[in-house]
Amino acid sequence: MHFSRIDGDHVTVLRVEGELDANTAPELRPTLDQIVADRRRRVTVDLSGLRLIDSSGVGALVSLYKRVRAQGGNVHVEGASDQPLAIFRLLRLDAVFGAAAV
Amino acid sequence: MIRISVPGSLGYRELVLRAVESSCKLARSAGEDVQEAGHVSLPRAEPFEAEVVSAIGEAFNNIALHGYGGAATGRVDLEITPAPDQLTIVLRDTGKSFDPHAVPAPDLVHLPESGMGLYIIRSFMDLVEYTPGRDGAPNVLRLVKQMRRVSPEARSLQRAQSDPQRRPR
Repeated sequence: MHFSRIDGDHVTVLRVEGELDANTAPELRPTLDQIVADRRRRVTVDLSGLRLIDSSGVGALVSLYKRVRAQGGNVHVEGASDQPLAIFRLLRLDAVFGAAAV
Repeated sequence: MIRISVPGSLGYRELVLRAVESSCKLARSAGEDVQEAGHVSLPRAEPFEAEVVSAIGEAFNNIALHGYGGAATGRVDLEITPAPDQLTIVLRDTGKSFDPHAVPAPDLVHLPESGMGLYIIRSFMDLVEYTPGRDGAPNVLRLVKQMRRVSPEARSLQRAQSDPQRRPR
């Protein structure tokens, strides 16, 4: 997994590529915690390069979503396809994350 | 039949899933031969593979994290049987067993952050059988995914390609 965080004036873009799973989700957690700690209100998670996600990876993204929302912000997930999109649809997260439009 | 034996640790997750992905392709190519004779209808590759890989990934996580407690004290033996009409995957481990009936379904409305693994397995596979190990025998998880079309578009394509009297499985 590779990931990058880019802070614009208003929007933070978090790009996650490769596999976000039980193995790699712990590597991403500190960055997610920092986004919350920085009180970023608008977060876009770009998953166009994500090949695979599992329930641990989903848990990490849901945790980010809940915490940013609790601070009055929003998280938009975009670019999910194939296996990650199948998982989001099953868990009814496509609508929650705004991924339905991809 | 394909047999793979790996240590029950997350470091081997990707290797296992690559093998499973490859087996999905083998199963589909076995199915293509008999599909030409009109005996079976194949699913589209992407959702079939995505669903099988998702399910096996969760099953492997459960064994590594809960069965062996993250300590990789035992192995996971996989047996993959690609067939024209279905893909069967059996996972055996000697870790701590569990009672699948005692695992509650996740409450999706409240956006759970964990406890989704078994739900994913059950949703994406057609048959899920778990036998806890006893007297030194391993825990056995048997998962079957049928080859069948699921989408209406695929169904109409299937009707066009084969005997119109034959119903999709």
